[in-house]
Amino acid sequence: MSTAPAAVSAGRASESAPRPPAAVIARRWVARLTMPVLLLLPAMVIIVGLIGYPLVRTVYLSFTDTGLGELIYGGSTWVGLDNFKEVFSDEHLRASLVNTVVFGTLCVIGTMVFGFATALLLNQRLRGNWFFAIAVLLPWAVPAIAASAIFKWLFDSRYGFVNWALVELGFSGFQDYAWFAGRVSAYVAIFITVVWQSFPFVALSLLAGLQTIPKETLHAAAVDGAGPWNRFRLVTLPLLRPIVAVLVVFSTIWDFKIFDQIYVMAAGVPDRAADTAAVAAYREGFALSHYGLGSAVAVVLFLILLVFSLLYVRLIGREGSA
Amino acid sequence: MKWLMKRGWMYGAMALISAFALFPVYWVVITSLKPRSEIYTRTPDLWPSDPQWSQYPRVLGEGHVGRALLNSLIVASGTMVICLIVGALAAYALARWRVRITHILLMLVLMTQMFPLVVLVIPLFVTMRKAGLLGTYWSLIITYLAFCVPLAIWVMRGFIMSIPEELEYAARIDGATRFGAMVRVVLPLAAPGLATTAVLAFLEGWKEFLLALTFINSEDRKTVPLVLQSFVGRGDTDWGAVMATSVLYTLPVALVFVLARKHLMTARTAGGVKG
Repeated sequence: MSTAPAAVSAGRASESAPRPPAAVIARRWVARLTMPVLLLLPAMVIIVGLIGYPLVRTVYLSFTDTGLGELIYGGSTWVGLDNFKEVFSDEHLRASLVNTVVFGTLCVIGTMVFGFATALLLNQRLRGNWFFAIAVLLPWAVPAIAASAIFKWLFDSRYGFVNWALVELGFSGFQDYAWFAGRVSAYVAIFITVVWQSFPFVALSLLAGLQTIPKETLHAAAVDGAGPWNRFRLVTLPLLRPIVAVLVVFSTIWDFKIFDQIYVMAAGVPDRAADTAAVAAYREGFALSHYGLGSAVAVVLFLILLVFSLLYVRLIGREGSA
Repeated sequence: MKWLMKRGWMYGAMALISAFALFPVYWVVITSLKPRSEIYTRTPDLWPSDPQWSQYPRVLGEGHVGRALLNSLIVASGTMVICLIVGALAAYALARWRVRITHILLMLVLMTQMFPLVVLVIPLFVTMRKAGLLGTYWSLIITYLAFCVPLAIWVMRGFIMSIPEELEYAARIDGATRFGAMVRVVLPLAAPGLATTAVLAFLEGWKEFLLALTFINSEDRKTVPLVLQSFVGRGDTDWGAVMATSVLYTLPVALVFVLARKHLMTARTAGGVKG
């Protein structure tokens, strides 16, 4: 791994003796940088133009009272922190932030626990493991909107499978139970959808980690008298810490910015009580034309996620996987 | 007997988790094969008594689903092609010129994966409106590049770095230009990386919902997630049609996942991207 830039290493040694004039050095630098800059240019234009600029613009909008007219024709007025004050005082918007944090955290915990259990089982290499591995992979392949539609059907109040099964099992209270008529019950259904979709990734990532743990280490622990639980707690878990950390941060980011499932499944919840911040920001902007206020919600969500993103970048950087 | 005590519960757990993972998929498929009278019933059958395919020609013909599949295919393919080209060039540059700024660029690339799209969507909407692109395929392809290109750079850079630079020197001694060596020597060797990136970029375009919801305003440009959402959002949801559409929408993705799962796993862990 040489660290020297390899740009024009070929013809260089021959002309080293006398110090070349400044113009030549400059020309050489230009020649050396032309190609990488040209190669990077399209990507940079895309990243700066489609991520950098919109981000700055949204932050600006969040300090203005932009409505539909101002958005299109310009002329919005600066309102300072008013939008942010409203985000935290408006009942619906504040609730959407609380929803995001509470529901997101629960989803992360559910996904991690369930994913870990699945990974440990997969690592046992029981008979029929190949079938198990493919079965576990499948939910990951289902696009979010399709999964939302599927679970909305499973949880349908009149003809849904879940209510039918619960009634058959003796919980007759679930006859025609309307899961999407209340915030908590809607979140139960959406929680199951989210965990169903995200546990495969966590399980398969953890499985990859489990397979790197040498069998000898676990054997040694067993010889020293450690039971299965202690082997897991004292050997497996510490060795997997880096992967677990990355997965937790990563699931947090994913579950906090969740949009598709909420937009489709929580649409019918009265007073939109089950909206998360991403959906609330979107609706505030595009449904109610409060683009300034919507931007403020988005910026708050962005700041929350930024903390986790920085954490993630640090974890990745420490592992040196770049 | 001892074996059963020790391992039995594991098999039980494995069966339960498999059922949890598979049952929803199974339920979609059989619902799509049931006649109307068996869908709208209080006592659903676990197996359709008279499976029939008629839902599929019906949704493909009437419900804009055929059109939507075509739209999704066009948008996802367009995203994939442009993303591969732009991403390969940038990845090559970042893999071969290791200057200090590379590190910063890579961090930027990683950060873009963390963005909630909702932060970007309002200005993007204005830009697309000003450019007169609202409601076109291009509005989607261009904006999808914003999050596909960073991912492509990240994945392909790893692959390109694993290819020894000496091979390029050899090609250049034989008279190839640096660009020629890249195109004819490095990229063919990085083919697995290109393929992985292609799949990932295609899937991003195939699955994306939020931007499509914002930019697409006409029935004949709707992508599949939009059609599904409008089906589900109605009061009198035609669940047979929804389930048939979901199957058609998911099938290509599921095939790719089962075939290419190893590659996707490594790429996704490295790129830090999920679903």
